[in-house]
Amino acid sequence: MATIQVTRGELSLAEKLYIPEVMRGVAITTRQLVKNVFGRKDIATRQYPDVKKPYPERFRGRHRLTWRDDGSVRCVACMLCSTACPANCIHIVAGDKGDNTVEKYPVSFEIDLLVCVYCGFCEEACPCDAIRMDSGKHPMPSFSRDKQRIRKVQLLEEGQPSTSHPGGLGN
Amino acid sequence: MPTLKIDGQEITVDRGTTILQAAAQLGVQIPTFCYHPGLSIAANCRMCLVDTNKAPKPLPACHAQVMDGMEVWTNNEKVQRTRKAVLEFILLNHPVDCPICDQAGECVLQDHYFKYSAQPSRLFHRKRHKAKAKILGPNVILDAERCILCTRCVRFCDEVAKSSQLTVVNRGEKSEITTFPGKQLDNPYAANTVDICPVGALTSRDFRFRTRVWMLSTERGVCPECSRGCSIRVDTFENTVRRYKPVHNPKVNDWWMCDAGRASFRGYLEDRVEGPTIVADGKRRAVATAKAVEDAAKAIQAAGGHGKVALVASPWLTNEDAYVLGRLVTGALAGVKVYMGGRAAGAGDDILIQPDKNPNRKGVDAIFAALGVKAADLSSFDAKGIETVFVFGDNHDASPATLEALAAVPWRIVAGTKMGPWWQLATTFLPLRLHWEKDGTYTNFDGVVQRIRRAVKAAPTCKSEGWYAMKLAQSFGDALAFDAPADIFAAVAGSVPEFAGLAWSDLGDHGLRFGEGSVPAGADAASAEPQMEATT
Ligand code: SF4
Ligand code: SF4
Ligand code: SF4
Ligand code: SF4
Ligand code: FES
Repeated sequence: MATIQVTRGELSLAEKLYIPEVMRGVAITTRQLVKNVFGRKDIATRQYPDVKKPYPERFRGRHRLTWRDDGSVRCVACMLCSTACPANCIHIVAGDKGDNTVEKYPVSFEIDLLVCVYCGFCEEACPCDAIRMDSGKHPMPSFSRDKQRIRKVQLLEEGQPSTSHPGGLGN
Repeated sequence: MPTLKIDGQEITVDRGTTILQAAAQLGVQIPTFCYHPGLSIAANCRMCLVDTNKAPKPLPACHAQVMDGMEVWTNNEKVQRTRKAVLEFILLNHPVDCPICDQAGECVLQDHYFKYSAQPSRLFHRKRHKAKAKILGPNVILDAERCILCTRCVRFCDEVAKSSQLTVVNRGEKSEITTFPGKQLDNPYAANTVDICPVGALTSRDFRFRTRVWMLSTERGVCPECSRGCSIRVDTFENTVRRYKPVHNPKVNDWWMCDAGRASFRGYLEDRVEGPTIVADGKRRAVATAKAVEDAAKAIQAAGGHGKVALVASPWLTNEDAYVLGRLVTGALAGVKVYMGGRAAGAGDDILIQPDKNPNRKGVDAIFAALGVKAADLSSFDAKGIETVFVFGDNHDASPATLEALAAVPWRIVAGTKMGPWWQLATTFLPLRLHWEKDGTYTNFDGVVQRIRRAVKAAPTCKSEGWYAMKLAQSFGDALAFDAPADIFAAVAGSVPEFAGLAWSDLGDHGLRFGEGSVPAGADAASAEPQMEATT
């Protein structure tokens, strides 16, 4: 590791006296205050939460599950997301849907957001475009741990129909 | 004896050996689908094609026999090209629905595709569709689209299960596996077709969608449902058993197991009791293990003389537990009456299923005989003069009359695993470990001693029969003490003639037959015929 030697400039007498420098600092703050209160122009501060910073398009937010055209869950409970998940926080129980086209579906689907590291491996692994992290939402604070475990119903509520075609366009 | 060269290595083999077997002896792997060492050779999948100097075209290694002076190339450019073509044909109409396919992860087609092909599909027409999720029988479900028509399942039913129920119908790309009209795939060995099906065409209805196979942990074990004692794999997920799979063992079960044994694990998961209880003043309450054992010892003391104590042993004991129990009733508790419980005999066949539905009668009998324990059958139980009875295990099929006689005994200690008549009978209940929760050995009807291993971590309150017997002996001042099942096994080998020379560490994966003990370590593997492992 390289060591960088930083040499500081000598302080002038005015700086060494301390008081003038403090006065200067207070003056800057006061000028800014007056400008903000009366001027309301060129304000550097963002008016959060009224004004939010737009996230980059690929921001990985809270998960959601997409739908089939008939509104049912697109996920086929293949467990590839839970296999890929480095935090081991996706818990799926698979069931037999009883029809010959879909066969398998998740009886329950649960993500523990307190454990999730928002790596995006789950949506990367999904072969069905069923899980996505494009909701643009942060994890919400809550008063209990259980609220941080989001389940199938919540995940679907935030979902939308997927535009991908299972099996490719040729089918 | 023909001498040939495989990939430059020379080998001399018996006449009639196939190229595949010769290659296996050299450790050269040739990919296969339809070949199974336990079945006849069909040579229909063509995955095993190899190049030789004796024919202009590649030969199927599973079927073609070696010739003198033959030279075989298993991985030259021509073979590689052939394999790619074969896989392209097999995958042409394959649905590739791996995400919902239970075979994914243990699928030979997946493995071979990634290893030998890995090329995208060039098909731009619609794929041929066939029956999906078609129920073939009580245990097996078919996805005809995934089938590669290797006919392993058909051959298994014809040759091993001896009941022809499956066949291939139609021709060309319309070919499909199905049951004969009016028949179901319901022979007692039907689920083995699931194991040998190299793809996900035949899958288990019981295991369907329960767990992805790559999430399973696995440990070797023995199926306890009959005295055949098939070698199995106990597959677990999150410390719960999810399925049994048979494991190849030429001494016991070859590659197979029966469907009843395979499904039996479910029964053990239900109504499990994991805590000791005692009944006091008509109320059952939970107690600590030490208290329950103390209570049991007190009950035996309270009987006033060992002649007033009866003990019910079981052919479900492992050899180790039986030995400790035998030492208990000949040592600290000498003089107690010993009865032998166990499940009633049932039907057997000449494939695998044995009429004796207990896993270790032969071993327990041998050990008891050597220790001088005389056990009467439980059906002859006589409550007269008995003050305390100690029942080991709850796998006893007792008649209502016997149960009544037992219930008439004032102190009833039961070591068991689950709710049921035996749990109800108990005034002191001691929780036991199941066969997949402990280490030990079982002896099958044929005298093959096999290891059982701990696949699941039991609750700390659950102990083995031998542990309770040891604690009881100690509370009566007997210095009976063993650290591990291996130590007890050494004691068994030292004192029971049938077990003479058998060593724990030599039991290996296939076990040792009575009398095989004098064979020096390692000879077991060497003397066995070079057997090919099945691809699944
Ligand atoms: S984002 Fe990463 S950690 Fe979170 S659920 Fe998906 S795979 Fe798991
Ligand atoms: S969300 Fe996608 S990857 Fe996860 S189980 Fe469902 S289909 Fe599979
Ligand atoms: S049989 Fe194998 S290749 Fe075919 S869908 Fe199942 S896992 Fe995938
Ligand atoms: S069902 Fe399986 S074992 Fe039977 S022919 Fe098809 S691929 Fe082979
Ligand atoms: S043709 Fe040889 S394994 Fe199928």
